[in-house]
Amino acid sequence: MAKYFDVSVEDIFNTMEARFRVEGAKGVNAVLAYDISGDGGGKWLVEVRDDSVKVAKTDDLSGFSVKTSADAETFVGVNIGKIDGTQAFMSGKIKIEGDMALVAASAKMFTRYSLPKKSAVTVQGIFDTLVARFQPQNAAGLDISVGYDITGEDGGQWTAVIKDGKCALETGLRDNCAVVNIVKAKDYIDLILGKLDPMVAMGAGRLKLKGDMNVAMQLPKIFAKFEPPKEEEEQELIVIKRNISVDMKYSTGPVMGKFFEGLIEKKILANKCPKCGRMQVPPREVCAECRCWAGDMIEVGPSGTITLIEIIYYSSPDPLTGETRETPYAQVHILLDGIGTEETFWHLLKNEDLADTKKGDRVRPVWSDKRVGSVHDIIHFERIRD
Amino acid sequence: MTEENKHCYIKEGKLALPYQYFAGRVGSKFLVSLRDKKKILGVKCEKCGKVFIPPRKTCERCFEDISEKWVELSNEGEVTNFTVVRTDDKHHPRKAPYVLAMIKLGGADTPIAHILGGVDPDSVKTGMKVKAVFADKAVNTMLQIDRFEPVN
Repeated sequence: MAKYFDVSVEDIFNTMEARFRVEGAKGVNAVLAYDISGDGGGKWLVEVRDDSVKVAKTDDLSGFSVKTSADAETFVGVNIGKIDGTQAFMSGKIKIEGDMALVAASAKMFTRYSLPKKSAVTVQGIFDTLVARFQPQNAAGLDISVGYDITGEDGGQWTAVIKDGKCALETGLRDNCAVVNIVKAKDYIDLILGKLDPMVAMGAGRLKLKGDMNVAMQLPKIFAKFEPPKEEEEQELIVIKRNISVDMKYSTGPVMGKFFEGLIEKKILANKCPKCGRMQVPPREVCAECRCWAGDMIEVGPSGTITLIEIIYYSSPDPLTGETRETPYAQVHILLDGIGTEETFWHLLKNEDLADTKKGDRVRPVWSDKRVGSVHDIIHFERIRD
Repeated sequence: MTEENKHCYIKEGKLALPYQYFAGRVGSKFLVSLRDKKKILGVKCEKCGKVFIPPRKTCERCFEDISEKWVELSNEGEVTNFTVVRTDDKHHPRKAPYVLAMIKLGGADTPIAHILGGVDPDSVKTGMKVKAVFADKAVNTMLQIDRFEPVN
């Protein structure tokens, strides 16, 4: 299985059910499809429904709410935090089809994949301490060699040469070993740590002793017990999230004030330059072109035509609350009816319209029920679809 | 209301700035000890012998790494200086008037600033013996020590 950053695509999906966070998936009913290309890739469906999740490898991705396509390396990299997801999306390495908001939501539904901890004890580590663990008082008069043939991954061959109350360790197997221990690396670690009984291991053929059994029986006395290095307790690190909130006041002046009064009555007001005839919305005190006092208020819109869509994937905090808005969302520039050809009005686009709205589409405002004289009296603009 | 300012309003707003503070490895150990053991830890520079609180990674005089040289300090100390806060602000930790004091704990060479409560602001004097009162809940800031109070 191809691995990227030590992790395979299968690792990510196989742990997904265990990484599911019920509290992050409240009210979500969706089918997330993944089409991972390249070595170790495949197709998976992740069904989130009623606070539970089902992950299945499949050939048929039909019926998804959102589909994410990526190459295996990018997919693994983003999942373990080695690759920036937004950048990968922008550069086209990740493609998203369907309800894009679900992709952002999925980050809350699953905890991040983390590498399983490797055992701190290695065969090499055990032999590194062998000489230090030698007990000369229990080896008086001995002149022998003890061989270790540790097979399998991370194994090796060593010979402990015991003579004149001293012990030396050599790599490789000497021919004249009094006894040779033959055992798989994993079993050897378990034997040393006391997780595997030597008698049981011998009975099962997992530990083979070649040579003088009497010497073998003395080994636990000749070498003191191996003490595994203590795993360092992970330190609790303190991170505090806070909001500084400074109160502000904004004086509207009479022109902006009239604009706000209009919003309460579901009217969008612009003002017109008496000299050049240009319209301004929101209205301003003077004409930006002629620098003369701008004149009468004229109602425009409220419907209009989109001239520009800006989709925000990385949002800055809302200054009123300090909360960061959920992404993606869209800001649109709208040429309101009756405004002329230049002066666009800026507002938000309804999230449901995000997927299929384009420049030139017609939109209308959705008014709040409680209007207080604020730009938020318009909740957002929505597509006119009739 | 005159005709001129008839359409003028004042709109209330906010400028909220979210931020994230990481206490660091040394700072975290200090705060966790305050919270879980109600013990105040400092760090000692073995070169110049100074004991610093709040603990820091490096001795400011010798540039020695002192991040592992923990020493336990007394929960009691003495006021070396103080000020009385007499204005209210929503960012202040207490209602005015309250006392902010520099307190040198037993075993430390540097004082820490903290709130001094349980005392009339006008009767605070330098040299006053005070003791730490710990917060009941996890606060994870310097206010894990809720305040200092005079030792009777």
